[in-house]
Amino acid sequence: MRKLLIVDDEEDVRNFTANFFRKRQLDVHTASSGEEAIETLKNSKPDLVLLDICMGGISGIQTLAEIKKIDKSIKVVIVTATRPEENECYHECISLGACGYVQKPLELKELELVVMSTLQPEGTTA
Amino acid sequence: MAIDYKKALEIASKSMIRVHDPDRLIKMIVRMIVQKVKVSHANILLHDKERGTYVMTVSRGPSGLRVPNGFTRMDDANPLIRLFKEHKADLLFSDNVIIYSKGKKYLDIIANKELNQLLRDALYQMEMFDTVTCIPSYFVDELIGVFLLGKKDNGTEFDKSELDFFTALASDVAMAINNAQTFKDLQKAFHDLKNELERNKRLFISITNAMAAAIDAKDHYTHGHTTRVKEVSHLICDRLATNKTNGVDDKFREHVAIASVLHDIGKIGVPEAILNKQGPLTPDEFKVIKDHPAIGETILKSIDGLEDCLLAVKYHHERYDGSGYPIGLKGSQIPLIAAIICVADAYDAMVSDRPYRKGLPKEKAITEIVTLAGKQFHPEISAIMNDLYREGRI
Repeated sequence: MRKLLIVDDEEDVRNFTANFFRKRQLDVHTASSGEEAIETLKNSKPDLVLLDICMGGISGIQTLAEIKKIDKSIKVVIVTATRPEENECYHECISLGACGYVQKPLELKELELVVMSTLQPEGTTA
Repeated sequence: MAIDYKKALEIASKSMIRVHDPDRLIKMIVRMIVQKVKVSHANILLHDKERGTYVMTVSRGPSGLRVPNGFTRMDDANPLIRLFKEHKADLLFSDNVIIYSKGKKYLDIIANKELNQLLRDALYQMEMFDTVTCIPSYFVDELIGVFLLGKKDNGTEFDKSELDFFTALASDVAMAINNAQTFKDLQKAFHDLKNELERNKRLFISITNAMAAAIDAKDHYTHGHTTRVKEVSHLICDRLATNKTNGVDDKFREHVAIASVLHDIGKIGVPEAILNKQGPLTPDEFKVIKDHPAIGETILKSIDGLEDCLLAVKYHHERYDGSGYPIGLKGSQIPLIAAIICVADAYDAMVSDRPYRKGLPKEKAITEIVTLAGKQFHPEISAIMNDLYREGRI
């Protein structure tokens, strides 16, 4: 089973997206902060991390950098409330190796598509 | 036990009238749906004008099912939104209410490929949100929002009375949101108007001050005089206002302030040689000076709304015993506004230096005002001046 780690400091977001992707046959884990995500990651490596960029504690960008330091092959999709063109850190995320970007409020179908296609074994690392 | 939806609706609409804040109102409605009809969860998707999309705004139910506020959106191209916006839902479902189980059956029947696909995609949207019923909320023809409701706790399908209840609530919500918007627009219009009035008022005050400056420029002795008369009149009004029966309210005080600035405006029509003469005036010169209240009236009378101020301009040289000018009004015949300006004006004239004489000490000026109470000056105002002086306020 493909493993998804959801990192978001909002409990309702974690629970809603976890519930959503569990129904899509993913092994879903959650973390409420960057620190927790990195701890979780050390024990069990996910195939994909869905990472909220705006969190308390260490920032999403730092978390992304840490994740990539631990294992470059872990895919990371960024979730953010700002538009890519308005977000200065967008390019930073891409250069740090994020493979996708979803903007809140999001079309659920789009989130599903990004996550499921990224997790496809033959899928590209777009 | 059957729920009295009619009663619930009545209660709802009563609350809606009271609540102007649409966010609060929608929260209230979602809570009511979940509690009254006992559904697993309910979400409301609302049109977001600024973003140009529909945003899941209010949600109730267990965590995991309820959609976090502002987390998801549905654009105009979203199949569910299209069904409602393009009025295709009402072709398939009675009252425009999409019922998931019914929709699934329609997929086998609908021959039109495009409509079939649209419905299929819309039903998938419902699946994603664990929704079994969608109720649109229209205002006139505009889709304001959509209710997305989860299963009933007892597992049964919604019956007619429940669906009617939702439809009624949805239309009430649209109405209320529209009302709230209208209320907001009205508030804005009111605010703009208020700002405009404020601007006009400031403009008016600036013009008034400019006119006063014109007198100051001409009459060298009165420099700063109007400002001081304004300050003293203001203090007198403070005291008079403690007595509720004399009509000294905010409006009156505003008039006093304007009148204190403009009371000598008529001096513009008095020759400078007389105004600035060093030494006492001859009887003829004094006659010319005495014209300034009438000239002031001529200058100001065409301005609407200055009627009360005009009384002060005209009568601020009247004396309580009737020996003043221009008319010789007596006692209570002299308008209060004129009596106030009269005392404040005289006090400042007494204590100010002139090239040909030094100003009186304050103590002496006050003694003079008290001595002339009931003769030259309004007795109550004279007494107030005395109090103000004793308290060190002037």
